[in-house]
Amino acid sequence: MKTRLLTGFLSLLMPALVLAGEYDLTVDRVNIDTGDFVKEGIGYNGKSPGPVMRFKEGENVKINVTNNLDEMTSIHWHGLILPFDQDGVPGISYPGIKPGETFTYEFPIQQAGTYWFHSHSGFQEPDGAFGAIVIEPEGREPFRYDRDYVVQLTDKHPHSGDRIMRNLKMMPDYYNREQQTVGEFFSDAAENGLMNTLQDRMAWGDMRMMKADVEDVQGFTGMINGMGPDQNWTGLFEPGERIRLRFINSSAMTYFDVRIPGLDMTVVQADGNNVQPVNVDEFRIGVAETYDVIVRPKDAQAYTIFAESMGRSGYARATLAPEEGMEAAVPQLREPARLTMADMGAMHGMDHGSMDMSGAQDMSEMDHSTMQGMDHSGMDQGSMTMSEKGPSDPFYAKGSGIVPTAANGGKFLSYADLKAQDPLYEDREPTREIELSLTGNMERYTWSINGVKYEDADPIRLQYGERVRFKFVNTTMMTHPMHLHGMWSILDAGAGEWNPVKHTISVAPGTTVYMETEVDAPGQWAFHCHLSYHAAAGMFRKVIVEGGPDATQSKAAVATEEGGDA
Amino acid sequence: MSRIRSFVAGSLLGSALLPTAVAAQEMIADTSSRKQPLTSWGVQFEELEYRYSDDDEELGVWSADFFYGTDDLKVRWLTKGEYAIEEQAYEGLENQLVGQVPISDFFDAKAGVRFDTPEGPDRTYAVLGVAGLAPQWFEIDANLYVSEEGDTSAGLDAEYELLLTNYWILSATLDATVAFSEDREIGVGKGLVSTETGLRLSYDLIDRAFSPYVGVVHERKYGDTADLAEAEGGGTEDWFAVIGARIAF
Amino acid sequence: MNASKLLVVAAAMSMSATAFAAGAHGGGHGASSGEPGKASEAGRTITVEMYDNYYEPETIEVKPGETVRFVVENKGNLVHEFNIGTPAMHENHQKEMKMMVEHGVIQGGKLNKQMMDMDMGNGHSMKHDDPNSVLLEPGQSQELVWKFTGKGSIEFACNVPGHYQAGMYGDVNFK
Repeated sequence: MKTRLLTGFLSLLMPALVLAGEYDLTVDRVNIDTGDFVKEGIGYNGKSPGPVMRFKEGENVKINVTNNLDEMTSIHWHGLILPFDQDGVPGISYPGIKPGETFTYEFPIQQAGTYWFHSHSGFQEPDGAFGAIVIEPEGREPFRYDRDYVVQLTDKHPHSGDRIMRNLKMMPDYYNREQQTVGEFFSDAAENGLMNTLQDRMAWGDMRMMKADVEDVQGFTGMINGMGPDQNWTGLFEPGERIRLRFINSSAMTYFDVRIPGLDMTVVQADGNNVQPVNVDEFRIGVAETYDVIVRPKDAQAYTIFAESMGRSGYARATLAPEEGMEAAVPQLREPARLTMADMGAMHGMDHGSMDMSGAQDMSEMDHSTMQGMDHSGMDQGSMTMSEKGPSDPFYAKGSGIVPTAANGGKFLSYADLKAQDPLYEDREPTREIELSLTGNMERYTWSINGVKYEDADPIRLQYGERVRFKFVNTTMMTHPMHLHGMWSILDAGAGEWNPVKHTISVAPGTTVYMETEVDAPGQWAFHCHLSYHAAAGMFRKVIVEGGPDATQSKAAVATEEGGDA
Repeated sequence: MSRIRSFVAGSLLGSALLPTAVAAQEMIADTSSRKQPLTSWGVQFEELEYRYSDDDEELGVWSADFFYGTDDLKVRWLTKGEYAIEEQAYEGLENQLVGQVPISDFFDAKAGVRFDTPEGPDRTYAVLGVAGLAPQWFEIDANLYVSEEGDTSAGLDAEYELLLTNYWILSATLDATVAFSEDREIGVGKGLVSTETGLRLSYDLIDRAFSPYVGVVHERKYGDTADLAEAEGGGTEDWFAVIGARIAF
Repeated sequence: MNASKLLVVAAAMSMSATAFAAGAHGGGHGASSGEPGKASEAGRTITVEMYDNYYEPETIEVKPGETVRFVVENKGNLVHEFNIGTPAMHENHQKEMKMMVEHGVIQGGKLNKQMMDMDMGNGHSMKHDDPNSVLLEPGQSQELVWKFTGKGSIEFACNVPGHYQAGMYGDVNFK
């Protein structure tokens, strides 16, 4: 630690060689062609998605954003550590950007990796207002690759964001076309017995919950880098090259399970922070998350990047190939996911053993007694042995119906596999714990935190310098990607000082997930579920960081007071 | 590993050189629309149909509602009509304007007024009701009415949707009316007044915005109400074949 | 350091221990990376530094038949390997290293020595004592003397799961 302190002093005393870059973005009405339909939307510099913004760590950027819309807009730099007044959330960071106005963002780039940016106004983001950010590190990357591609996913819907929200409020199952039918009743009855199936349906009917409630908004076309499955975005490679794929999930609502049949993927970065490399066959990318993977296609053939939605209602597809025009087989969608009583766990505290019928095969070997308040200590070892028995992941309720499994039977990435490559913070005891219940009512399409919607909520007040442990208790049947602006979210993956540092933490139904935050950024910040319609319905908070240095005077000083001698 | 920590050093030095930090940044209050209750609206025609009865009576029928408001308070306009095509007269025409507030996870309370302006005498009622989703997915709408004449009655509407597929839906409906006092002028006797049962098979053609259907509807009057109808020379029971569409926008 | 609890699954230990026998990597199917050298024959010393997760230098040049003394230093925070072999040998070895991680022998920045010495039956262990490789905890350094017998596609690589794939390898170029 001493040497590092010294380095710190030295770097401060030395005259800074500061890079500076100026960038222009216009916010425009654009047409988005998915191949299935053409829809008017919002983009940047005349396109959706907008350009890939390439920055260099240590650079001071100046970004002029011109609003060519006839409504207010904003840009939030998702995952970037910056002064709060540059964070781009109307009503929290600043008032927003008026029609015809140009707003100039100015902030230092203090990190490297893959990030993204998007509008934080209304439903402009689902309507297409997003782009990618790639930041080159000051030093070398701790891995090697010959070329890199951004792979930006989205779930483009033929309806506008406003209309989707309104339809969900009118009929919460408006977009759900994977509901259980009479046919499924009979096939379940054939498999599990008539009485069991009847009991199962009655149990769910009694709760007025749907096993099929995995994806709120279906009917989208999955897109990669602005291209639908038939338009087939293609990334070129020379056989034998290592390719870094920077996956960004810019969807409004959709989690994707991503695989590239025929290629192993090595996950090297999550949410912009390097992780110890993990070899996987498939991974689930939550809304707003990023994962960087390295692949090495050795043969001169095409490979399909297949991103199947978590609920199996749609997919995005792209291709890696030695030449344009080459294609590989596109897999079929797997069967729609069904929630189990285990996913309702935190909600009703039921006996998880007796209810679930369809997932019975998953559950045979599992112990249902320890589901709540999961103990993540020693989980990294445990998860591996569990995965040998059947689909299980410590970040899903035991017996959950949405535990992901790899299509080829191989390794599916778990949060428990993520370990920081180079921990950003010293590990220390949190100063306090804040419990946040993720709450909602599907039939009313209301979403909230601790049962209170943003409109009725007081801000969460944090003290500069403290390390807060957030306890997310998901009492709903949906998976929520929780995003805290301005400060890192250190996911408790049971790895102690190696716990990964993220900006978005996905919390599966019926689970409790912890994250810790070093409160090192003064100002006020947004904290919300990144599913667009959940955030808009109230699953949103303002966080106020009290005390600390003035953000304008020490833009570089973003660490904790205690951190120095930790 | 040095990145953030070197900032720590910078911060320590910085705080030594600079006057103690004052939050000079102006912290704004959130006055954006996000901080306001989300306002929504919707229009739904549960029924918009042509009915043809077993004694060749032809009716145009609708049952629709329009809502506007927030999670905590909605205004709802409900309208129902039965138009006899040959007679060119409204056999039934009912408009309700109610305020609606949530009272439990799945139920709302409603209060407002109802205006009945069919062919014949009009009536105005005060309405008090509950609507929501009962266990096992029954949509329930139960109301108590008091007319300006002082007569009280109650209505219960229930609906159940059976998903044959995710697009073909069989919906069963039951509407029942009970009167607690007689209102001869409009042909209502004390006791169970009438029921209307329907079975409709629909197909979601455009999202859930336009879903054509065919079905059968059975209407029956009971007790004193049936007697009053017979005395007027009317029938007490009708079977209809119906064709129509559910509309939502 | 959060030393993860060791989970010993005896049943899963029926791994092929022959793979760990000295010098038997890759089965020696023609492709060869050379052979253990004598320190006295080493004409020069190359220092290879291991970081998370890359080497410095990333390429070395040797003459066919040359014996090189390597000083391998782990300057990272994770356990790393320096292993001389053909790409095929590395691929095979990666499976073994995966088991070592799964059995808790390699735990991020630590090696479980006890585990490595443990008798796994049939007199085998997970010692990782092959002459073409060294496996080091952070801060450790070790020498390896290697004779490059003939030309071929040879890499030095870290086969800790994911490290090779992420790019922790270096090329051996023959002059």
